Amino acid sequence: MSDWLLLDGARRLLADTCTHEAVQAAEADGWSAAIWDALSASGYADLAGLELADALAVLTVAGEHAAPVPLAEAALAGWLLGESVEGPVSVVAPGAFGELSLHDGLLSGTARGVPWGRAIERVVAVIDRQAVVVPAALATGVERRANLAGEPRDTLVFHRARVEDVRPAACDLDERGALTRAALMAGALAAMARLTIRYAGERRQFGRPIAAFQAVQQHLVSLAQDASLVGLAAEHAARSAGFFEIAAAKQLASRAALTATRAAHQVHGAMGMTQEYRLHQFSRRLWAWRSEYGDEQRWAGRLGAAVARAGADSLYPAITGGSAVI
Amino acid sequence: MLFEATDLDEGELALQREVRGFLAAELPRGKFRPGLGMGAARDRSFSAKLAARGWIGMALPGRYGGHDRSAVERFVVTEELLRWGAPVGHHWVADRQTGPVINRFGTEEQKQRFLPAICRGELSFAIGMSEPEAGSDLAAVRTRATPADGGWTVTGTKVWTSGAHASDWFVVLCRSDDDEDRHKGLSQLIVDLRSDGVTIRAVPFLDGHSDFNEVSLEEVFVPEELVLGAIGQGWAQNTSELAFERGGPERWLSTYLLVEELVRERSDEFGERALLLLGDAVARWWGLRRLSLSVARTIDRGEAPAVQSALVKEMGTRFEQDLLAAVQELVDVEPVVEGDSLFERLLVAAVLTGPSFTIRGGTNEILRSVAAKGLGAL
Repeated sequence: MSDWLLLDGARRLLADTCTHEAVQAAEADGWSAAIWDALSASGYADLAGLELADALAVLTVAGEHAAPVPLAEAALAGWLLGESVEGPVSVVAPGAFGELSLHDGLLSGTARGVPWGRAIERVVAVIDRQAVVVPAALATGVERRANLAGEPRDTLVFHRARVEDVRPAACDLDERGALTRAALMAGALAAMARLTIRYAGERRQFGRPIAAFQAVQQHLVSLAQDASLVGLAAEHAARSAGFFEIAAAKQLASRAALTATRAAHQVHGAMGMTQEYRLHQFSRRLWAWRSEYGDEQRWAGRLGAAVARAGADSLYPAITGGSAVI
Repeated sequence: MLFEATDLDEGELALQREVRGFLAAELPRGKFRPGLGMGAARDRSFSAKLAARGWIGMALPGRYGGHDRSAVERFVVTEELLRWGAPVGHHWVADRQTGPVINRFGTEEQKQRFLPAICRGELSFAIGMSEPEAGSDLAAVRTRATPADGGWTVTGTKVWTSGAHASDWFVVLCRSDDDEDRHKGLSQLIVDLRSDGVTIRAVPFLDGHSDFNEVSLEEVFVPEELVLGAIGQGWAQNTSELAFERGGPERWLSTYLLVEELVRERSDEFGERALLLLGDAVARWWGLRRLSLSVARTIDRGEAPAVQSALVKEMGTRFEQDLLAAVQELVDVEPVVEGDSLFERLLVAAVLTGPSFTIRGGTNEILRSVAAKGLGAL
């Protein structure tokens, strides 16, 4: 963590603004101008202006607070263009590229799953390795959709929309997108583990805290393991930003999304099944982010193919050296 | 945050290259029989060669023959030895466990007597903790030390003692005093395995090997100067000893070589399932290694990361078994003992020793209790 002050500021601001109620309201309304404006005013929305590892550390803090704003997209847009983009801005994920085309500076087609598509000023898409910026207001249609966490993932339709900017994409969106999700997930897992451990110490049944039961302790330990593993993996992936580390971190995060949410919900019992209690703001995000920018299978397949190609003698050097080796 | 991210520095990376070069020259692939992690063979001459390089007792003080190096440097050497399948058996316990414990709790005389020989790779130690009635519940040990002229007389039975037949000494946890608090009145004695009254009986392991032993002690005389630490402090010393042996790379590398050989022998025919298995395994090794390295760095800062170590050991050993099961499901072979393929030989060894991964050095159930208490829920 290279900038403690920066992170401490982000932590305070997000804790103040992203309360349980505020996150609920953002989900209901589809946008929270108050949270976005507070982050913008303090400079935290300009993540692409930070060192890569610092930007990702801020995203982890955002994940810890279930921040209902397109911070990851602000970072991705800036990395794709090589400079910060006035925002709120969103990015079309690679899976949805097939339906977009660019001719003579005019964008046509359907962009699906656009984070906060309804509320942003600009959209960035990658077409033939070119990063294309188009004003969201030029969309001829906006269909409101949401991911499992209720975060807007809208469909935007463009018909010969005049793009603002076209330039070679400055990063690999697949990898950087996965890196943002791993960072967010590390935060959500840490918050979920803390919430669950605290709850197990407070909730009493049969005359004692449920954390006194070994069967419950087993869930707490497995949660702490998932949160620790993914937290460290995301931090190392942020330091190197190489294929190996990103593939490993996103894979570990996506797998942990399955196991950790299961453990956390089991500990909480019926208490965790309602939206009145905070757990769902983390568990639903983990389920949603698990599949965004590639789930554990996708990244395991890619990583497995890469190390198999490198061969048996390179296997352990790859585990220790990562992207420096393969 | 329980674990802080850390990377190897230039000196540590140079050490890693040095160990790799040494192993490639000393134990070329295909020219020796590799073992699975810390279950690898005993080879005094190999231990002596490592010692000549300064790679045994690395973190022990120079004045006792050690090398004043860090836990991270020891980690770097250990992981390379384990993943190579090198025969670390002769010095393993002394290097990882007994040496550090004697250095921490032993008398000056004990340090001078044992540590230099440990660091030369000569002395081999076994662990005398478990008994028929004291497995996970170590405070239930019945082996008894009674005061005698100039020392103690020890009587009792230790079981599941790995390598006692091939070791020189073992550290015996025993009851030296009856106390209402069962964690008091325990002591650790350093016992010469060739003493009068010591009988070692081999107990064949699942795979037929006889590394496992039952050690009976019948009025064995142990002189006062071989009491380790303080009489009555055995429990506290023993607990710290267990912390030494947790969290290292031996807790997630036991099935590594199996997968490396799978890649070497069969990657030409890998389908999608095999690639998924490999990608998953590599991600976990990478992640677990990062956690383990973080534990070593924390030890070097003078802290005692007991909770972190328990979390890593529990997770790592479960992974070792999960990975073995995944490999078993993947390949369609009927493993033959002493077959031609190294992959198949390692598969046989892994299947027949696999259940021990989550038991040795503290069962996963006990580790979860230790970790849960440290997480602060109670």
